[in-house]
Amino acid sequence: MALQKRIWRILSENKGRYIGIFILIFLGSFTLVAAKGFADNYGLLVNRFALHNLQEDLSFSVDQPLEGLAALKQETGAAIEPYRYADIPLSDKGELRLLTPQQTVNLPAVTSGSGLQQPGDILIDPFFASTHGFKIGDRIDTGHQSFRIVGTLALPHYIYPLKYINDILPPSGFGIGLVSPADMDSHPEAVTVYSVRFAARDNLGGQVIGLRAALEKQGVGLSDWTDAGNNKRIRMPWATITGAKTIAVPLPVALFLLCCLIVGIVIWRTVKADSVIIGALYAQGYRRRELTLHYLTLPLLLAAAGGLTGVLMGLPTIYPTVKYMANSYYIIPYEKLAVSAADVLAGILMPSAFLGLAAFLVIRRELRKTAGELMKGDRGKTKINFLERGLRLERFSFGTKFRLREQLRSIPRLLFLLFGVTAASVMMMFGFTINHSMNVVFQSGVDGTYDYAWEYSFKETRQGQVPNGATPFNALRCYPESKENAEFYLTGIASNADGIFLRDAGGNLLPKNQVNITYLLADRLKLREGQRIAFVSKLDGRSYELVVDGIVQTYSGQFIYMPLEDFNKLTGQPAGSYTGVFSMGKLPYEDWELAGVKDLQNLNNTMEDLAAPMTLMVIFMALIAALMGAIIIYLVTSLMIEESRATISLLKVFGYRGKEVRSLILNGSAWVVLLGFMLSIPLMLASASALYGYLGEMINMVLPIMLNPAYVILSFALIVTVYQATKGLSGRKLIKIPMSEALKAGSE
Amino acid sequence: MFLTVSNLTKSYYGGITTPVLDGINMELEQGSIGVILGPSGSGKSTLMNIIGGVDRADGGEVLVDGINVTALTDDQLTEYRRERIGFIFQFYNLIPNLTVAENIEVVSNISKAPLPVDDVLSAVGLADKKRRFPRELSGGEQQRVSIARAIVKNPALLLCDEPTGALDYVTSRDVLALLQKVNTEYGTSILMITHNSAIAGMAQAVYKLRDGKVAEAYRNSQLVPAERIEW
Repeated sequence: MALQKRIWRILSENKGRYIGIFILIFLGSFTLVAAKGFADNYGLLVNRFALHNLQEDLSFSVDQPLEGLAALKQETGAAIEPYRYADIPLSDKGELRLLTPQQTVNLPAVTSGSGLQQPGDILIDPFFASTHGFKIGDRIDTGHQSFRIVGTLALPHYIYPLKYINDILPPSGFGIGLVSPADMDSHPEAVTVYSVRFAARDNLGGQVIGLRAALEKQGVGLSDWTDAGNNKRIRMPWATITGAKTIAVPLPVALFLLCCLIVGIVIWRTVKADSVIIGALYAQGYRRRELTLHYLTLPLLLAAAGGLTGVLMGLPTIYPTVKYMANSYYIIPYEKLAVSAADVLAGILMPSAFLGLAAFLVIRRELRKTAGELMKGDRGKTKINFLERGLRLERFSFGTKFRLREQLRSIPRLLFLLFGVTAASVMMMFGFTINHSMNVVFQSGVDGTYDYAWEYSFKETRQGQVPNGATPFNALRCYPESKENAEFYLTGIASNADGIFLRDAGGNLLPKNQVNITYLLADRLKLREGQRIAFVSKLDGRSYELVVDGIVQTYSGQFIYMPLEDFNKLTGQPAGSYTGVFSMGKLPYEDWELAGVKDLQNLNNTMEDLAAPMTLMVIFMALIAALMGAIIIYLVTSLMIEESRATISLLKVFGYRGKEVRSLILNGSAWVVLLGFMLSIPLMLASASALYGYLGEMINMVLPIMLNPAYVILSFALIVTVYQATKGLSGRKLIKIPMSEALKAGSE
Repeated sequence: MFLTVSNLTKSYYGGITTPVLDGINMELEQGSIGVILGPSGSGKSTLMNIIGGVDRADGGEVLVDGINVTALTDDQLTEYRRERIGFIFQFYNLIPNLTVAENIEVVSNISKAPLPVDDVLSAVGLADKKRRFPRELSGGEQQRVSIARAIVKNPALLLCDEPTGALDYVTSRDVLALLQKVNTEYGTSILMITHNSAIAGMAQAVYKLRDGKVAEAYRNSQLVPAERIEW
């Protein structure tokens, strides 16, 4: 159809506008394909790894070596197999956790090189290998042992290689290595852990209860019990996968809906402007279908181009992202990835469906008119919407009235700008806020509440004196009644513990001779001072009840603190019992005595390790958000200029100076931008809290979302800068509008 | 003399040169009404645009109230239009999403000593329709708003481009009567371009243009009140 030749002319006349719409569609399709492709593939790999390599359902430790393992396995129908681990500090090269291989649970996957052949061989995790520059064939010297690296591996129970399961990040320089049992024999300090995987894959909860009962029947004293559901080493990848899945569809849909609004406006304007021509074409025998197709060409072309480019650019990112994650963050074996045809089709067709439908509805409404009606044109028919009609603006200055009316004259355009700025601001502040919240949580763990340098945990409960400068504590892993996934530590601390400062929301020190609960746990369980909490010991299933006296304003974990003497009394332990000590200085404990040591200096290093990629991610998110904001503001501004050409021209005729015209036309959006930004603050807080609350439930960790005024100001400054820059760009368009347009105008 | 046009020339260049004004001379006294008659393409609008400072001449001179309009810079032309000229258009050129009062404020907003908007609205008989939007008014009422907008700044010269071109006979006479009232009450000089030669009866100075030249010019000593103009 000869009419189609116009499409290229229309596109080239408003290049900026259509490039902007193209980029928004591109971003939508790109996110859809890349985020969903990553989440699906990574999820599949994690699932496959867990299934094929027989990931444990739980693990436990016991006070004494477990007798009658074969009978226990028989009774419970579970694979129960011990492994040993020992932490080996490497001179200035971090720390390596050596583990022994298992045959029936947690089968190691060799991701490069070969398996263990002989004593002295070691398989290490690929991230540890790359950060320390180890290659296959290199040797690792631990001081009294030398290992030959034969390959890299992934372990189903160490997908996220945390040193302690309550950590958020692995310590800087920490890694895992698999060595033969013979090599482990030279580490008497090694800890034994039993991994359990039930043969029947249904009713796991019931089987767990059965196993507990069987252990109890045998009189086994448990010193640790970790369900896979509460094990961050296993669950953490799912938080990331769920996070990616959470943005994979809503973000593109939001972008496509925004595009629908703007494309709807553009097409409506084009059809309106062409109404006389359309009427003439009707009169000459053109069918409605032919004209509908003609006007649909532009949105469909944009949708197809943006969708296809987004898919083509998004697909190649899946493999490197999955590979990077599998090698450096959540260690799993990676295999050939599958590209989902449905995702590819959705990436290409979704924008076409959204934009096509929006444009079709607009076109159909206009083309319903008769040829005669259309040929009369649009003269004198500017509709006044309810907002314009309802406003009483007499008391405002003319400039304010004019600017308000300019904004309100097109509600879809107003909504596009409002939602667009809100979406861009939410995205920008989301990155900043998550970064700030994590910093606060880490900072809270490093200083403030926990003002000690070292934390030592013993393998066995002790009694008696502690070394000079040390403060004893005792701890029990518990969960609230009827909420087993909200694990926390009940910690008994000495009333004179000088390493812990418990402060309430007002910054006042709370007495240590009462029951104090950390803010995160209280918030999660909706507990206030004076309320009662009933909970169950994770180890022996005994129930307890306490009344909360104070809430500790800290973001570093889920704890209930109580006086050590009361703790021992409550849990039926002898007076003076303790399982660990806090200390300002390093203490000369032997490795074999310890179940764990926390070095706060290392926490600082970990934070630094995290800071760089986090900053990069935040900058990337801010840039994408700024780009989105710029496109949205530019689209609206250029549309406004387009719609106000006659008015702009008229103002020039009347003697308005360039600056005055720019101010009237371009500054009108300022309040919408401000409103959009203001709306974004509660919206961002709500969405971030909902997302992180959901993810937190998955991994038994709470990340409180905290707004940093400095970041709010920074985000606002960025949005305003984008707005001003876009205005500057649009101002040039405005200058070019000649006065002759008003002089020739034939409207109202 | 309030308005003096001397030997004004203007051509349009678009591949071929098309002369539009070819040595135009005309004069208008302060406080009088002038009418420029002529068929389409005779150069009426171009002449008015140059006098109004929205277009530039190639040669010649336009003096308005002692100001040499042809010698003004772009910025000076803006000030000139802002301070001294009022415009009335054939199709009213009202801003559709502003109310009647706000349309008038478009001009009063940038004027140094504007007349009160309500007074002007009363003068054009639209005091009760100040909150209406243009589409809620008849063509005649819209043109009244346009006149109110033009006179609110109390301009030295009111330029009217076919002010009755889109109106029926009765409404046209009303509008012309209003313009005559503005001329007598405010002492505003008015220059009107029109196809309608009957309107010449209400003007002191009449110029007929043909092919960019003044084909005929005369002065009226017997002015006809607008209400009695017939065509």
